[in-house]
Amino acid sequence: MNNKKEWSKKLLYVVLITYAVITLVPFVWALSSSFKTFAEISSGVMSFIPNEFTFENYRQIFIEEELFFRWLLNSVVIAGGGTALNLIFNSMAGYALARISFPGKKVWFMLILAVIMIPVQVTMIPNYLILKELGWLNSYQGMIVPAMINATFIFMMRQFFINFPKELEEAASLDGLGRFGMFIRVVLPLAKPALAAQAIFVFMGFWNDFMRPLIIMTDADMYTLTVGLNSFKGQYVTYWNYIMAASMVFTLPVLVIYMFFNKFFMKGMSFTADK
Amino acid sequence: MERAETSSTSKVKESKKKRRSNKRLLRDIIQGYGFMLPTILVLLTFILGPVLYAVFLSFFDVTLLGGTVLDFTGVDNYLRLMDDARAKRALLNTGLYVGIVVPVQTFLALFLAATLNAGLKGEKIFRIIYFLPTLTSSAVLTLIFMWMYNQNGLINNMLETVNLPTYNWIGDPNIALYSIMIMNIWATAPLFMVIYLAALQGVPKNLYEAAELDGANVIQRFWYITVPQLRPITSFVVIMGLIGTFQLFDQSYIFSGGSGGPSNSTLTVVLLIYQYAFKSLGTMGYATAIAFMLALIILVASILQRVLSKEEQFN
Amino acid sequence: MKRKAWVFWSALMFLLFVAAGCSGNDGTTSGDGGGESEDGTTELTLAGWASSPEEESLLNTQLEEFEEENPDITVKHEAIADQYMDVIKTRLVGGEGPDVFYLDAVEAPAIIETGVLEPLNSYVDDEFDTGDFEDTLIEAFQDEEGETYGFPKGYSTLGLFYNKEMLDEAGVDVPTNWEELEEAAIELTTEDTVGLGVAPQMARLQFIGESAGGDMVEDNQAAFGSEEVVQGLQPLVDLRTEEGAAAAPSELGSESTGEMLGQGRAAMVMEGNWNVPYFEETFPELEYGVAEIPEINGTQGTMAFTVSYVMNQASEKKEAAWKLISYLTGKEGMKTWTETGIELPARQSVAEELGFEDDELRGPLVSGAEYATTWSDGPNLPTIYNNFDNEFLSAFLGEKSLEDALDTGEEVANDEIGD
Repeated sequence: MNNKKEWSKKLLYVVLITYAVITLVPFVWALSSSFKTFAEISSGVMSFIPNEFTFENYRQIFIEEELFFRWLLNSVVIAGGGTALNLIFNSMAGYALARISFPGKKVWFMLILAVIMIPVQVTMIPNYLILKELGWLNSYQGMIVPAMINATFIFMMRQFFINFPKELEEAASLDGLGRFGMFIRVVLPLAKPALAAQAIFVFMGFWNDFMRPLIIMTDADMYTLTVGLNSFKGQYVTYWNYIMAASMVFTLPVLVIYMFFNKFFMKGMSFTADK
Repeated sequence: MERAETSSTSKVKESKKKRRSNKRLLRDIIQGYGFMLPTILVLLTFILGPVLYAVFLSFFDVTLLGGTVLDFTGVDNYLRLMDDARAKRALLNTGLYVGIVVPVQTFLALFLAATLNAGLKGEKIFRIIYFLPTLTSSAVLTLIFMWMYNQNGLINNMLETVNLPTYNWIGDPNIALYSIMIMNIWATAPLFMVIYLAALQGVPKNLYEAAELDGANVIQRFWYITVPQLRPITSFVVIMGLIGTFQLFDQSYIFSGGSGGPSNSTLTVVLLIYQYAFKSLGTMGYATAIAFMLALIILVASILQRVLSKEEQFN
Repeated sequence: MKRKAWVFWSALMFLLFVAAGCSGNDGTTSGDGGGESEDGTTELTLAGWASSPEEESLLNTQLEEFEEENPDITVKHEAIADQYMDVIKTRLVGGEGPDVFYLDAVEAPAIIETGVLEPLNSYVDDEFDTGDFEDTLIEAFQDEEGETYGFPKGYSTLGLFYNKEMLDEAGVDVPTNWEELEEAAIELTTEDTVGLGVAPQMARLQFIGESAGGDMVEDNQAAFGSEEVVQGLQPLVDLRTEEGAAAAPSELGSESTGEMLGQGRAAMVMEGNWNVPYFEETFPELEYGVAEIPEINGTQGTMAFTVSYVMNQASEKKEAAWKLISYLTGKEGMKTWTETGIELPARQSVAEELGFEDDELRGPLVSGAEYATTWSDGPNLPTIYNNFDNEFLSAFLGEKSLEDALDTGEEVANDEIGD
């Protein structure tokens, strides 16, 4: 019995490590390329350890790009603000769709699901025209407001709240809390794990967004990091060394946030039906 | 139960109840719409507005550049779709892609989550490593993969060392779509893994303990406890997977340099929409018509999924 | 408890407020600003795609020179990071287009048709000297009435880049006609190296496709399925499928044919002058030479790529915008731009002054300008080449016969174009 358990454990480790290697290879390659010279990357010799270790690529990004910190600020404001708003608004909508019975609920829910299914390519130009009418081109709100809700996560939060224990809400309403007060003070704290997962996904969405800032932001001062650091793909020649260094710079903050939230959503997050 | 009471009292009670329920209804409406207000505002302005505009455009020949020129053509754009060979090919590719990627990535995500939930040492590290591809933007991932896929690339080198056949992963029309599938499964599975992992924490431990006492092995416990317990999440994951895969664009765009080649083998519906919307001028209306047909297909697939899995939750 | 909620809401409001404030400082974008600002200077927006750091600094030098000469004009340069044409089209639709922007010849006819570009003939004076430009280059930016909508900032042609060492070792002379090229390619092919690196794209191959008398585009429709075009391209495909002496970059893990040459994976490639600084930077050891593309059936041919500066028809600062264009494409500005050879000068006078004809590497590329096919062929070319590239790759890799592939491609392209 014990022996069998040992074996299955070993097998599990083999599986886990194999997959970890598969996952790490591309990533490590990108990391090592970010320390290679352009000549080495172009030489076509594949090696995980740079022949000639250089910080030049990072220097190009941090120092040669005068606007780097401005872009970083823009990215942080947009991703941070957008995530905060998403968390509250998606949860509110998800909660209403799950727990409050109001006329038209079904219609709104179907509508929210339906809009996920329409590809963004067709709404890009009309959206641009609306932002222009509002005078929101080249602005933070132009990036944040249209994306301050997210149908996917409204759907997710609804799935979560639908199984939320009724007793807690009843107890809270006896304490004389209004619906909103109860939502803020009782429901949200209990939804922390779901909120943490949502926070990471939404933040990532904003952080990696490329097409929207590319179109909305025309002023170099207003670029986000993704747009600002994407100028290394020339018409004929692609500067891989810079691109890889830039991609490392994008990934690091999200990784830190993920590690930070990781502990939250491992603590009993659940939107399953029967507990 | 009220039927049992006398008519007079029931009338009084009913009118009271009505008043109460009226009040309650009003309160629910205020609360419901209050909670929904931000969502509704954004939805109407930035999503439904543009979508309706796009629906409108789908009945016209549209020139947007140099002053908007609309030419009403009725349902011509939709009819044109019927005998567009590339649209058929795109739909076929996309269907094949969805059919393979959704089941595989869902299962892989569930499997990885269950493995990482088995109480092994070092789980935390694995969780972080597995999540790396999700954190990296899809454009960068695609570029890394293209480098690994090329004929003298890492993957072929590895296959060669273990004496397996090598492929022209990008150039061969019979392979190219599968290359994108592998890459996408690899990149998306961890995302759903995280959601599964979180949900797994909510599965009562005593279920497993009881099963273990009954002599169920690891695999049986996985199939008979984990899988059914996670059904609502699987429903979410599958629907999200359907939507994501039906809208495949980035990868095939980068892979083929926007053409959908070789020989249309990586042409997807959204890539086609993109080509009509931006590459050629004056076909915006046709592009939106394709987009709505695609939305319709996704909708049908989602409903089908719901019927098949008999999901109560998803109403 | 109550206070917490209050703090939360005020923090949220503050955030929105800050967001609104931060962006408020940029109320005037190009299109809506009314001509001059308070201090009497005009701010122009100039949009282009992002390129190499070298190009970026050359452009900055140009702009500084221009601003010095025209103290009442300042230029704001926007580098659009990716999907340049999508972004430009979206902005033009929204009436927010830049005053002056890059336009590739391949996109030009379609954009000219829509009327979003300002016709430039009336701005031109004698001093600007239109006749100085290479005719083939400027034609791509003219409509049927001869109205000009853009002036080239420079151009690039393809030449035969070859690895000197490999040719010496194999005892092969630099080929001057297609037969010699084929022989040389076969001779030069070894286990690690193919004789000829080929970019399987219409942009690079149109002149070969048309070398047997066919036209790849006729009346704005795809015509590359014709017998003559197949005849023109067949030798190239055979070199790959029959002899194994040619390959596409993706087959060998390279990004471009230039990289193939640099990495020693190809002994000869048909590439453009942008490779000269590229090789200098990334393959300093490479010993290569440049020759004119070998004659096909006794005629010389190559491709020419050119990009113009064009003016937004909706610009409200047209006088200033013209000043900028006439400087950038004028004799002085073009000299600054092309001095280092990243692009070849589109003006004959500048070319003479810089003496590129006698340059060992650039001479053959400059000679190409005379007989080159300019990469521009009517408004439907983007659709046409998209379908060509899509199908030709299959034929080149031997998955399909060339005839079948091109027939299919032509049919689909013309379906898409409609009438």
